[in-house]
Amino acid sequence: MAIVAQTPDILGERQSGQDVRTQNVVACQAVANIVKSSLGPVGLDKMLVDDIGDVTITNDSATILKMLEVEHPAAKVLVELAELQDREVGDGTTSVVILVTELLKRANDLVRNKIHPTSIISGYRLAMREACKYVEEKLATKVEKLGKDSLVNCAKTSMSTKLIATDSDFFANLVVDAVQAVKTTNAREVKYPIKSINILKAHGKSAKDSYLLNGYALNMGRAAQGMSIRVAPARIACLDFNLQKTKMQMGVHVLVTDPRELEKIHEREADITKERIQKLLKAGGNVVLTTKGIDDMSLKACLLNFHFSCLVQSFYFVESGAIALRRVGKEDLRHVAKATGATVVTTFADMEGEETFDSSLLGHADEVVEERIADDDVILIKGTKNSSAVSLILRGANDYMLDEMDRALHDALCIVKRTLESNMVVAGGGAVEAALSVYLEYLSTTLGSREQLAIAEFAESLLVIPKVLSVNAAKDATYMGLDLSKGIVRNNLEAGVIEPAMSKVKIIQFATEAAIMILRIDDMIKLVKDERENEED
Amino acid sequence: MHAPVLVLKDSLKRESGSKVHHANIQASKAVADIIRTTLGPRSMLKMLLDAAGGIVVTNDGNAILRELDLAHPAAKSMIELSRTQDEEVGDGTTSVIVLAGEMLHVAATFIDKNYHPTVICRAYNKALEDSIAVLDKVAMPVDATDRATMLGLVKSCIGTKFTGQFGDLIADLAIDATTTVGVDLGQGLREVDIKKYIKVEKVPGGQLEDSKVLKGVMINKDVVAPGKMRRKILNPRIILLDCPLEYKKGENQTNAELVKEEDWEVLLKMEEEYIQNLCMQILKFKPDLVITEKGLSDLACHYLSKAGVSAIRRLRKTDNNRIAKACGAVVVNRPEELQESDIGTGAGLFEIKKFGDEFFAFIVDCKDPKACTVLLRGASKDLLNEVERNLQDAMSVARNILKNPKLLPGGGATELTVSAALKQKSSSIEGIEKWPYEAAAVAFEAIPRTLAQNCGVNVIRTMTALQGKHANVGNEWVGIDGNTGDIVDMKDRKIWDSYNVKAQTFKTAIEAACMLLRIDDIVSGIKKKQAPGAGPTPSKPKIEEEGDADNEQILPE
Repeated sequence: MAIVAQTPDILGERQSGQDVRTQNVVACQAVANIVKSSLGPVGLDKMLVDDIGDVTITNDSATILKMLEVEHPAAKVLVELAELQDREVGDGTTSVVILVTELLKRANDLVRNKIHPTSIISGYRLAMREACKYVEEKLATKVEKLGKDSLVNCAKTSMSTKLIATDSDFFANLVVDAVQAVKTTNAREVKYPIKSINILKAHGKSAKDSYLLNGYALNMGRAAQGMSIRVAPARIACLDFNLQKTKMQMGVHVLVTDPRELEKIHEREADITKERIQKLLKAGGNVVLTTKGIDDMSLKACLLNFHFSCLVQSFYFVESGAIALRRVGKEDLRHVAKATGATVVTTFADMEGEETFDSSLLGHADEVVEERIADDDVILIKGTKNSSAVSLILRGANDYMLDEMDRALHDALCIVKRTLESNMVVAGGGAVEAALSVYLEYLSTTLGSREQLAIAEFAESLLVIPKVLSVNAAKDATYMGLDLSKGIVRNNLEAGVIEPAMSKVKIIQFATEAAIMILRIDDMIKLVKDERENEED
Repeated sequence: MHAPVLVLKDSLKRESGSKVHHANIQASKAVADIIRTTLGPRSMLKMLLDAAGGIVVTNDGNAILRELDLAHPAAKSMIELSRTQDEEVGDGTTSVIVLAGEMLHVAATFIDKNYHPTVICRAYNKALEDSIAVLDKVAMPVDATDRATMLGLVKSCIGTKFTGQFGDLIADLAIDATTTVGVDLGQGLREVDIKKYIKVEKVPGGQLEDSKVLKGVMINKDVVAPGKMRRKILNPRIILLDCPLEYKKGENQTNAELVKEEDWEVLLKMEEEYIQNLCMQILKFKPDLVITEKGLSDLACHYLSKAGVSAIRRLRKTDNNRIAKACGAVVVNRPEELQESDIGTGAGLFEIKKFGDEFFAFIVDCKDPKACTVLLRGASKDLLNEVERNLQDAMSVARNILKNPKLLPGGGATELTVSAALKQKSSSIEGIEKWPYEAAAVAFEAIPRTLAQNCGVNVIRTMTALQGKHANVGNEWVGIDGNTGDIVDMKDRKIWDSYNVKAQTFKTAIEAACMLLRIDDIVSGIKKKQAPGAGPTPSKPKIEEEGDADNEQILPE
């Protein structure tokens, strides 16, 4: 029976002891059950519909849990855990949720058998440390040992759970190429900034017609029809202000006494912007990107002057003309600036109060070109100077599919990045969990303390991953290390079902920490929110 | 015993398992059934009434589905398909829905037999790959420059439409328009931008046969001062502006404080001078026609008309761009920056004509127009709307062929060929994927079957006859003539489809079917960021007991 103690000083409900613990475990289990069927290559997708009727179709636990409005506090911890895993590693969100739940369930059984939570906690901690050590020392294999294919295999493993599983060969290569294209080496370390991989979605064609594009793609057309379609070599100016007729901030009134002055003000308004553009051009810029607007007048000014400058310099440039883009997203602009070595300029003013634009602020790229993808015009910036940026153009039947492909590719990109960074891989398909389980079971027998029980339970819990995998594959849950499309046991390392070691370690760490946190709770006080709820009570 | 634990909000509804599969399949089939009768030349129109009471009469799959307000998420996803198809290739919007619906329908039996959906998806994808390979084999290259072939092709593609009864008319229009605006990109590539450079103007009245493609642009405007300005100019010199020919107001708020009476006069005079100045600058280039996107003041109108220049004001930007393309002018912002090269001289005739009680400006007989207007005439607005939709389809077809000049047989022959090829191949496939693969092959027959249904022949007899033909080699081009229901060689009847449309239809339909199959859980009623106001009425709260929660044993038996 629920022990609900209503004390006068707490305006609300208070629950404590075993009740709370059981409730928490049940709540977590409910959450895990929702995502359980999405684990593994034969896992299925969820369709989420919000009250407006917008649909999301996904297989990614972090997305599913974020969309669900989970109310129970302990279950919320799980949702946050999935998000954390998504941020830190990018993949394995389902595994982590399932593992926590299993740990909790088993811990709860132990508590019921009169083992104090703190000894369980210390047992879990010990097991986690040992498990991580074991993964790193014994189970992990160096990437070099397995060759370059291992990257493709990692991506494939990550993607095999997703919508694009059937074309995973194709996409895995795409992903690995993309990550290797954005590799940047500085003095100390090699980095793979996956943020500079721009993912663009366009309806139509089929998933297999997606492709990798060398260069950064901006989803917009050029500002005026009269501009040229292609500029090469491009010198790019990134601006963060309006190129419109100059307007005072904050509604300043200008009072003139001589009517002729009025005329001059109007004249000047137009000229300030014109001069700015001329400065841009003088510095050598021929592609102008701005986050704000460019009005017709300035566009024309751009064009005219470009024509002029091209006449003068026509010896040097085979192709003439320029491109101006308006309302570029701030995020996009930053990436372009980073890739091309440009500086985002917020004002032309310098220390002397004059307006200048230095040519060193311009970015460089081999080519800026407008192309047509499906029904949209897209600006591509190719051959950027500093770091290389690439774009993945995704094609697919409809929006929902594209969104899901985007999520799947993001996970795969993260995984490839982690693999490259950590350089260690482990076998997937539940093999690691099974091995760890065996190891920990052995370890538990060597201990004489009460933690022994907790470690043994930990070992059992790890088996939940291969179990769920086989359940999803509609197989008897007694096989381990599964090739799930055929349902047979095999050496996954050789078969190429691999994951980065870091992801596994993180899963175990996060799961244990979260489980411990929830386990420590033995009292829950729910305060009454407002009168309305009181009335309902 | 435990207290019940509430994990999810009351308002959330959750369905899972095979119930979801069946619901999704049902919903998709319902959508397919709605537009099934609009496939083929003997198709029926649908009349849709929207909330405002407006009427849409059409048999364009996309146009129908766009108007429908469906609640089921899977059905919504189906509607998106038709939109994708429309954006990408512009035709085949009905086929894609029918095919996707059928793919899901045949999958239902496998779901019942406890097949895992991913197995079905894998088989479908394999079928898609093989079917595209078959398409490549059957496809026939065509000469896109040969007008007669193109005409036949476009005609057969839009034969299914309402305007089919008017014969070559729409096909002629479509080909004329697309060849006009086609731009060679080099390397044999041709780009046709229908959206930007082809304008369809609908003018009720007259007959459909009066419709034509203008060698230039038409706009629904009159000159600013009728009577004072010329309404017909041969070989006009055209200046295009996108600035107002009015006294400009500054961006900043300026107040002029006038103390002396003379100042007031000066101010007024200045305004006049300013406009005079503008006009003089324009007149220096001796134009015959000035067109601006913005306003044009009475005073400017006076100066221009005195110099014998016609003027049109408040034009849309897109129209202005089109005129620029048609007559070779450059849109100028500041009159003081005008150059001789900015003036358009390509047009042969400027004329204002009156249809009904509205005036239309024609800038036609252009030398090398890169933009054009298609003028549609017809009895009523509804009719014209439908004709326009047909024309859009026809233009897309023409564009597809210009871009990728490959042909496939129409009338269901392609689908039958693919189906026969897949059936043959299915016998060599190992494992349980064999059956879904074969089912996919059968699903392709939905298209010829629907065609046969719609033209009112005996479906079973026709289909068996066709299947028999296609089982033998060399009959790849045999299909149904949608008008008569006869089984004929498509080559003789000249019933074609473009390769792009067919390939896209197959890809979209199968991929979407796979996506819907993979769903095993629907959660609805998620609120977007705590929107205030009444949500759906709270359904029964979902209570998780410990016993239910531990449903590890969800093994399908």
